[in-house]
Amino acid sequence: MTDVSVPAVSDPSQPEAVLGRRALERLDLLLLTLESLDLNGGESTLWATRQLGFETVFPNRVELWKRRCHNPLRRSPRRGSLAAVETEALIRILCTMADRLYPFLHQLLSSREPAELTDQRWALLNQRLKDLIEERMNLRRGAIQRLLDGQQAMPLQRQLVLTLALAAGPGGVDRLRASLLDPTP
Amino acid sequence: MVMLKQSFRYDQSAARLEVEGLPDFSADHGSNAIGILSSWRLTMIGHSEMQGKREHLEALMAAVIPYARLRLSGVSRAQGQDGDPVRILPLEQGHQLELVSSRSDVPPLTLQLDDADLADLVRCLDALRHDARVRIEWPAISHVPLPKRDLAERTPLVQRLAAPVLGTGTFLILGLVGLLVPLPNPEPTQTTSPVEQQDERREPPISNPSQAD
Repeated sequence: MTDVSVPAVSDPSQPEAVLGRRALERLDLLLLTLESLDLNGGESTLWATRQLGFETVFPNRVELWKRRCHNPLRRSPRRGSLAAVETEALIRILCTMADRLYPFLHQLLSSREPAELTDQRWALLNQRLKDLIEERMNLRRGAIQRLLDGQQAMPLQRQLVLTLALAAGPGGVDRLRASLLDPTP
Repeated sequence: MVMLKQSFRYDQSAARLEVEGLPDFSADHGSNAIGILSSWRLTMIGHSEMQGKREHLEALMAAVIPYARLRLSGVSRAQGQDGDPVRILPLEQGHQLELVSSRSDVPPLTLQLDDADLADLVRCLDALRHDARVRIEWPAISHVPLPKRDLAERTPLVQRLAAPVLGTGTFLILGLVGLLVPLPNPEPTQTTSPVEQQDERREPPISNPSQAD
C-alpha cells in the first residue's frame, strides 16, 4: 500500500474545495462502493480517519456519518454543504481506502481474469451495493433507481470502480478533487 | 568520487517501471537517490518492453496522467498530438498507448490496455513522481476542473439536443397557432351606398297605422 501522506488540515496551500450537489452525491457513492468491497468498511473508514490524522475533523463515526448525509440522495439528507476542510478530509480518506482495496479494484477491471470469476465478483459487488443503497438512499430518486436498474446499473458501477482505481494512491487526491469540482453540465 | 548507480523499481500487477540514474552530488543528494536519470524501462504484461530517456518518460507522464484525470470525469479524449513521442487514445473497449521511437529505424509501438492496465500504469507513474528518493524536478501536471464544453460529451447527443429542439418546436407551434386564430374585425363604419339609403327611406314603417291588417 502506498502512503498517502497528508499535510496539515489547515495547510493554506490546499485548495478550498467546496463541493456542489452532484459532487456530494458522487463522493458519498464512491465511499459506498468502497464499503461494498470491504465488508468491514465502516471500521476501515474510521481507521483511515485516524491514520490520516483527521480525528479533529471527524472525532467519531457519528460525525463522519453526519458529513456523508449531506448527499442529497440520502434517505434523510442534511441541508447545507461540506466545509472545505471536511471535503479535503473525505477525499483523502477515500483515496487511502481505495489504495488499500486496489487489488480488488484491479481484479474487477482486468480483462485477463477468468470471465466467469469476474462476473461473479461483479455480481457480488452489485448485490452488496444494492443492499447498502436500499438501506440508506432515497429510492424514489431517479439517480438511485438507475443504480438499482439491472441494465443501467452496470456501466455506472464500472465507472465508480474505475474512478476508485484511478484515484487510489497519493496522485489520486488531486485528480479526484479536480473531477469533483467539475461544473454540472 | 565514487559514482553509485541507483535503480528503483515500481511494481503493480500488470506493470513494472524501472528507473536508473545517479545521485547528483553537486545538489547535495545522498548516495541513495537519483538526481540524474540515465534510463527507464516499462514492462506491461503481454507487451514488449519499452525504454527510453528522460524526455520520453516525461512525455509518457504528460499523456497518461491527464488522460486518467479525464477518465475520472467520464471524458474519453486522446492525449498527445500526432508526432508526439507518446499518445494515448480511447478505444471502444480499453485504451491504446502509442509510443514513437526517436530512432527512425524503429517502428512505433502500439499497446492495447484495459482499464486495469491503465490504472496500474498510472500508479507506477504516480509512485515515481512521489518517490522522495528520486530528486528530479518532473514537469508539473496540474489538475483543474474541466470546462462545461468538455463535459458535454458525457451527455448523449439526443439528450443534449432535446432541450433546444423542444424549445424551438414549442415556439414554432405556438407561432402557427397564433397565426390561425382569427383577428377580430374592426367595427364597420357607416359607409352604406346612396341606393341602399333610398331603399331604407321607401320602406314603410312596420308600425304604420294606415296599413291594412
